[in-house]
Amino acid sequence: MTPLNLTTAIFLFFTYTVGLIFVIAVVLRIYQYATTPQPIKLPLTPAPLTAGGAFARILGEVIFFKSLFKSNKPTWLFGYLFHIAFFLLIFMHFLRHFIYANPLPWWYDIFVDIGIVCGITMVLSLFFLLMRRVLVERVKFISLFSDYIILILIMLIGLAGLSLNYVISPSALTVVDNQLDPYMNGLLNFQFTNIPSNPVFLIHYTLVLLLVLYIPFSKVMHFVGIFFSPTRNMVDNPEEERYYRPNAKDLSI
Amino acid sequence: MANPKDKYKIPVLDGNIPIPKIVPGASAYEHMVEAQKVDMEALGFPFKLKDGWKEKAIGVFKEILDNNKAVRDYMDICVRCGACTDKCQFFLGTADPNNMPVQRQELMRKVYRYYFTPSGFFKSLSNSQELTEEVLKDWFTYFYQCSECRRCSLYCPYGIDTAEITMAARQIMDSIGLGQKYATEVIHKVFKTGNNIGIPPLALRNTLDDLEEEIKDESGKDVKIPMDVEGAEVLLVPPSADFFAMPHMESLKGYAKVFYKSGISYTVSSYASEAGNFGMFLGSYKNAKEINKRIWDEARRLKVKRVVIGECGHAWRAAYTYSNTMNGPFDFLDSKYRQPMHICEFTLGLVKDGVVKLDPSANDDKVVTFHDSCNVARGSRMGDFKGGQIVIPRELIKAAANKFVELREGTTKESTYCCGAGGGLLTEEVMNLRLAGAMPRMQTVKEAVDNHGVNFYALICAICKTQFSKIFPLHGFEEEMVGGIHQLVSNAIIL
Repeated sequence: MTPLNLTTAIFLFFTYTVGLIFVIAVVLRIYQYATTPQPIKLPLTPAPLTAGGAFARILGEVIFFKSLFKSNKPTWLFGYLFHIAFFLLIFMHFLRHFIYANPLPWWYDIFVDIGIVCGITMVLSLFFLLMRRVLVERVKFISLFSDYIILILIMLIGLAGLSLNYVISPSALTVVDNQLDPYMNGLLNFQFTNIPSNPVFLIHYTLVLLLVLYIPFSKVMHFVGIFFSPTRNMVDNPEEERYYRPNAKDLSI
Repeated sequence: MANPKDKYKIPVLDGNIPIPKIVPGASAYEHMVEAQKVDMEALGFPFKLKDGWKEKAIGVFKEILDNNKAVRDYMDICVRCGACTDKCQFFLGTADPNNMPVQRQELMRKVYRYYFTPSGFFKSLSNSQELTEEVLKDWFTYFYQCSECRRCSLYCPYGIDTAEITMAARQIMDSIGLGQKYATEVIHKVFKTGNNIGIPPLALRNTLDDLEEEIKDESGKDVKIPMDVEGAEVLLVPPSADFFAMPHMESLKGYAKVFYKSGISYTVSSYASEAGNFGMFLGSYKNAKEINKRIWDEARRLKVKRVVIGECGHAWRAAYTYSNTMNGPFDFLDSKYRQPMHICEFTLGLVKDGVVKLDPSANDDKVVTFHDSCNVARGSRMGDFKGGQIVIPRELIKAAANKFVELREGTTKESTYCCGAGGGLLTEEVMNLRLAGAMPRMQTVKEAVDNHGVNFYALICAICKTQFSKIFPLHGFEEEMVGGIHQLVSNAIIL
């Protein structure tokens, strides 16, 4: 086993720190949303009359963005493309770790091509969403610094990821691939190896760490919050079944 | 004497609802009159800002965050996608960016960031803001330019409900002594007299006598409107405007005739002579509960079997949603019936059972359209199926009148616009705001009048009725076009 270099030591430290902060902060946030009482029933009607129906309503929002579809078609289209591509990319990054073996499966190139299509889709839809913030008067007015930052950050992550395929040479990419697999294994079973030293990869990796660190403190928490949104997740049955929360203080309804 | 048309900014009606270019501060001049001492104290609030108001306000804010999941969740998860920006009738009418739902929320969210999030540390980058008197002034202006109609929540990908945020902001302001005169005065009247208008029992009985006489003159029948009768089957709780305002009284006549014809004994109450619940507008659980409690105390005292609520939007949402939670359970009432039940469901049931017969040709002089009231369409239900609050009023109209047309698609049912005066805005000092808020709806009315010859605008909300009775003439429409569904029933019922 080769001794670890300084770069790897630094990245290992930050990877674990960021991972820990992310998990703790997200779990705390879920706990907070889950345990805060809701004084009265608040479903936006017409609303489902059963718990199953209410759950299906939430899934409709999470999977198809139904309300956004109703309100703004272009935003829905590009927002949807972005989220699908982003989700697939995260999923495929994890998946890649399990299918990267020697020899590579015959469909590995197709797998990579799908990833590249997702990456390009993501960057383009982000670009549209960014242009929307710059060009549509109302959206520009409501946009905050943090709204631009998150778009640009994810765009840069996408661009750096795509650069690994298009900017650096194929042989350099193979080196990265061959170093990355044991590094990732090491993160899970604490048998550390050196992180790929390619600067483009390190930029990609660093930006991802920044994103993961930022998520629990940002609007990205909507991915948790939507499940707790009372106007969407509540069952419309206040007359049929008494809804009473003794721990909800007599303050605001 | 200035012509009201000179006094007010009256939007031009051409049938279009364009998305305006934003004009910062366009409606900043529309303020509510501040609450009076006697009213604030009656509601359990302090009067005027005192030393330490800021700490108090942040303390109340914290308590709301800890005890209201909706506010807690909605403070964090807005992504400013902008889906709501062109959905609020007050933005469409005023062009003031603070009337875009997301921006209205931002007034509160920036204070939330300052006190309750780590990003408040990066003040300029995160748009966080200390709660200053300046900010409070914005709150008092713009959280009283929201009618809590929840149209924005319908279109929000996360269902973020600006009404909840408006209610929380009003609650914080009330708790440090900054209240709105109109709503606090109205609630104080309910505590003193049992209704929003402040009619004492004897005057109420007199009005009911007059109405009985009117019905007798019109129909020759002895239709009674009993008051405070113990042992009646039904306690009828209409909004108090039904007792004395026009066109509301026409609907009260309709209810009375339905009870007369069905033979079901009923009574109104002088103690619970108000279905409306302005406690909801303040977002005050305590006050909403006290107002709601009067209905159920009276149901117990009068030993009725069931409770029926009259035509009123927010009143129905409050009665439907809050009753069981705040003052239930209702095991002393007849469990066969929904408690409470909406008058439209009650009447339609009797019509369907053949107990009450309607002759729709009696309304053949009318081309009827229907405005869904926001709190009914988006905040409640009638009947035992999803969407009953949309279907049942329409079925009742069609049973009572032959000619019915819908307003423009996308502005009806759960997508309905607010009348522009809900949520405690039905007051003279913000007349221009009310005109602006009613603009989108009036454009669709104009279209329905021009294209379909609509001449009757059916409503099931006391606030809508008052608002449109005032707005219609300013736009050159007949005030008499505005009326309740039970006004149609009243015309059509075969006694």
